[in-house]
Amino acid sequence: MLVWTTAAPAIGAAFIASTVEVVEAFTIVLAVATLRGWRPALSGAFAALAVLAVVVAALGPALNLVPLHALQAVIGVLLLLFGLGWLRKAVLRAAGVMALHDEDAIFERERRELGEEMTSDRVANGIAALASFKAVLLEGLEVVFIVLAVGAGRGLMVPASIGALAAFVAVMAAGLLIHKPLSRVPENTLKFAVGVMLSSFGVFWTAEAMEAPFPGGDLALPALAAVFLLIALALAAIVRLRPAEVAS
Amino acid sequence: MSVVTEVLEELWSMFVGDRRLTLLVLAVLAIAATVSWLAPGLRAATPALILIGAAGVLADSVFQAARKAR
Repeated sequence: MLVWTTAAPAIGAAFIASTVEVVEAFTIVLAVATLRGWRPALSGAFAALAVLAVVVAALGPALNLVPLHALQAVIGVLLLLFGLGWLRKAVLRAAGVMALHDEDAIFERERRELGEEMTSDRVANGIAALASFKAVLLEGLEVVFIVLAVGAGRGLMVPASIGALAAFVAVMAAGLLIHKPLSRVPENTLKFAVGVMLSSFGVFWTAEAMEAPFPGGDLALPALAAVFLLIALALAAIVRLRPAEVAS
Repeated sequence: MSVVTEVLEELWSMFVGDRRLTLLVLAVLAIAATVSWLAPGLRAATPALILIGAAGVLADSVFQAARKAR
């Protein structure tokens, strides 16, 4: 039976992480659509979704063949690397060291670059579909990894998939409604939250893989998230307030 | 650049975007695994070791990036 304390972080992590990725893919698909129409934009996007579906269909059952401890070890390490990487960038953006992700600027740049590449109508539609395909494939790969990583180690594939699917539906609904890049999505705040959750999962699973579980079992997950959140907020504050000391 | 190359680059950057962070995380996990294996009496400390190590690696990586940027 599913335990809510385990399922909720899985759904939350998959939902928030997927929201970030789907927003990024949507920006480029929308740029393609406004330049060349929805046909090449959607054909590229659906082709990428088909490739991703094949990847999930191939990897999902294959993961069931891997012993649980080995799976937790590999996924735990990958989650820790991926989560800490996201958290690092989110802290640096929150501290003003790195520029924030600007969907409006990305939208305009993509339109400009696509416009420069297009010579004839046929070539233009091909390039547009390819741009849409690449955007959905590259961002989608991250969603697939997050769903597999969050879900595979503890039989949480269904909650993780629900989180990702809900994100896809929410972003598409919002995007179709406003028909503009979703620049008001607080992307860095979401990345901060995802970095915290994925790092927590990573620490939790690597410890379990070493047969040294955290006391309290699954209840340790929210506690780990709180610890990572406090550390990340403190780091952002230190870097923002004392740049000279950090730089010296 | 081919789509395959871009996909491989994306996968690489997902986990090894910051080489120093990757190496330090692997080092922390190797130390924790060694402690857990060689000293079963200290196994209960392994989760704390991983957590403290991960936090330390994050701090190091953030300060390093801030130093480079300024």
